Amino acid sequence: MTATRGAARLDARDKATGATRYVADLSLPGQLHVAVVRSPLPHAEIEAVDVSSALAAPGVVGVFTADDIGAPLFGRRVRDAPVLAVGKVRYVGEPVAAVVADTRRHAERAATLVDVAYRELPVVASAAEATAPEAPMVHDAPWDYPGAVVGPGDGPNLQSVVRRGDEDLTAEALRSAPVVVDALYTTPAGHQGYLEPQGCVARVGSDGLVEVWINNKSPYRLVGQLAASLGLEPDRIVVHPVPIGGDFGGKGSPMAAPLCVALSRLTGRPCRLVLRYSEDLTSTNPRHPTTMRVRLGADRDGHLLALRFDSLADGGAYAAFKPIASVNLHGVLEAGSPYRIPHRYIESRIAYTTTVPKGHARAPGAPQATFAVESAMDELAGRLGIDPVELRRRNVLGDGDPNPDGIVWIEARGREVLDAAVAALTPRPVPLGWQHGWGISLYDRATAPGQTSLRLLDDPDGGGVVAEVPIPETGTGNHTVVREGLARLLGLGRDRVRVVHVPTSDLPGDAGVGGSRVTASLSEAVERAAAAWAARTGSEPVVVSLGEAGGAERVTSFSAQIAQVAVDPETGQVRVLEIVSAVDVADIVNPAAHRMQIDGGAAMGFGFALLEDLKIEGGQVGAGNLGDFRMPTAHDLPALTTVLVTGGRGVGALNVKQIGELTNVPTAAAIANAVAAATGARIRSIPLTAEAVLSAMGAPE
Amino acid sequence: MKIALTLNGEQASADVEGDSQVLDVLREQFGLTGTKEGCGVGVCGACSVLVDGNPVSSCLYLAGMADGAEVWTVEGLAAKDPDLIEAFVECEGMQCGICTPGQVVAAAALRRHNPDPTEEEIRTWMSGNLCRCTGYGTIVEAVKRYVGRD
Repeated sequence: MTATRGAARLDARDKATGATRYVADLSLPGQLHVAVVRSPLPHAEIEAVDVSSALAAPGVVGVFTADDIGAPLFGRRVRDAPVLAVGKVRYVGEPVAAVVADTRRHAERAATLVDVAYRELPVVASAAEATAPEAPMVHDAPWDYPGAVVGPGDGPNLQSVVRRGDEDLTAEALRSAPVVVDALYTTPAGHQGYLEPQGCVARVGSDGLVEVWINNKSPYRLVGQLAASLGLEPDRIVVHPVPIGGDFGGKGSPMAAPLCVALSRLTGRPCRLVLRYSEDLTSTNPRHPTTMRVRLGADRDGHLLALRFDSLADGGAYAAFKPIASVNLHGVLEAGSPYRIPHRYIESRIAYTTTVPKGHARAPGAPQATFAVESAMDELAGRLGIDPVELRRRNVLGDGDPNPDGIVWIEARGREVLDAAVAALTPRPVPLGWQHGWGISLYDRATAPGQTSLRLLDDPDGGGVVAEVPIPETGTGNHTVVREGLARLLGLGRDRVRVVHVPTSDLPGDAGVGGSRVTASLSEAVERAAAAWAARTGSEPVVVSLGEAGGAERVTSFSAQIAQVAVDPETGQVRVLEIVSAVDVADIVNPAAHRMQIDGGAAMGFGFALLEDLKIEGGQVGAGNLGDFRMPTAHDLPALTTVLVTGGRGVGALNVKQIGELTNVPTAAAIANAVAAATGARIRSIPLTAEAVLSAMGAPE
Repeated sequence: MKIALTLNGEQASADVEGDSQVLDVLREQFGLTGTKEGCGVGVCGACSVLVDGNPVSSCLYLAGMADGAEVWTVEGLAAKDPDLIEAFVECEGMQCGICTPGQVVAAAALRRHNPDPTEEEIRTWMSGNLCRCTGYGTIVEAVKRYVGRD
């Protein structure tokens, strides 16, 4: 099989030769290196910090604590995270002091010499502990933080609570439903798994201008966050363009930027901090571990009557790493979205604990919620004696059906997608004595353009056009999409369109990479820019700016996955033989990049289902290196079979639907359903380790 | 200590500390930033280089052990073997690109050790190089193209 060819990536050659320069590859004149002294305890008062030995170490320029930088708080919505701990630490890995030195080696060595005296406080190790009556408070008054969305009446230790739907009507419908599944599902904390650690270089000029180089995917949002945190005017902050070595939701927070800016102010020189990977695994913003109770009711023909979904997620020590207005996880708030459900009530609580703060990870909340709901759908099918595919076909949205939020999509192709997945399934050989089964799972996700901007100008290097874009290339191929769109709409050869990511000072704004909106947003901007370019009379540049609302189309895409597994009854080992992904697509701009979003998503779903767990216990991340936090290799993965259900109606002139967050979501339930089909054992907690499977099957004497 | 090595086909020397890794020397002293630091514990393969023809994790390879060795980085391999790069470009065997130099180095090493690998052998060989983006399909195709199996 040969690779699908399309709009060949514009970044391919530089990436393959190692010429692409990421943040860790930059070196500013006069730059200093930062190492962070981190808390070894999950919850403690800081009694004293002795920096004298560190200050005397070779190459050290300064050692700084909150006493030196003041007490600025940062965050994406809620500003509750200190730049350096102020009086108290709330998770293992929290920054307490920063050593600045001439080399990274000197900074790291000196950091081991900083002596911090702590007085331990009670550990709040899980969301369940945090929300129990009489739980110790992680923060004295979380409602006082800027941007807080909770109040004193919401109960202890909450970052966010969202209730959606009619609780009473849902309860009534469940009471009268002939068949109800009521079960608890849990998912672990997991790191996004980008291989490029978080890093930042900041330079504060003598005129006070703040310049930042950082692997942050939302540079314009970062300007606002830094301005709010450091009390600066946004026009005094410039975030420079840097490509990003993997994101998956984890590269949207300010991370080291406020610290590096503060240290550059204090030292008068550029300050650089690139995390070691174990620091990244233990102290950035991994996926929320989540416990979900599902109550799903149906009539005897399998028509869904009601869904009540109660989710409790561990948000960790700070809410600062969640960007949306609700400070919640939208995937949880959309549980059950592929189906007609007359009554749905969702309550989603996120708790403060003394663990690493949690953030967004590829389709935030959706992998968790879909694992729960799609597992419950199979349990319901079992109770009703209805085939799991047929149960989904009976309930999936059709054209004109309102989803549980009342949205009517311009088309609803869930049934086609289910049928395509089933049609692609062929039994694979199974090792002798192993048990075979397959399971299905369904998901849908909207395509909604958002805020962005774009500038076109004549290429001074002759003939073509330069497109200045506001966001980094994170790997999805977004810069290639811009080139391809402009080449098509302007009738130019690809070699005459040059795409350049520019500093935040150069364009009006952008909402950042995420929310599956980038291809849609950029293609809409490209469409408008191309029209303005064609209509211009002189040689002035064209600037287009899309607002928050974006396009009005109500477009969603469905994805159905089937996992085919073999289970060794002696050991409980699960071998996934194949994952079939049937996806709902409109037009595809770059077939290779589109395919990699599908395959990479399925691979990530596979890891979520079977391997990945940060193993946070007693406030401490147990899987603190990539040997312990296992991600799928080329050898681990099963055959990934994709069926494109073409002919969909997308958004914009390029007629696109999102693909980046479609196939990582349903995988875990498909695999758990397959394991249940193979063994009869229903496992409601992932990852599905051999031990868990064997135990659920009933270990032999 | 002073080490002398053949780096990308040319004689080179460096002053290194006893616990310096090849990765740090390449990036900091020779400015060869194509070799990336990922996990730092020899698992992800982003820092792969060839030492005497074998792929090693340069984050765990003491610089002192490279004294007298022949070291090739992605930059040197790209200059020496354009087919290697073309295979990854044509098959679009990358997304974010942070693992790509390591994948390229691993592919070069595979062809030396096994000029005619099966897909299974390719997947096993390349399993020392993590990629979080692609699901590996286009990377495996790039390697197949490079070894003439596509």
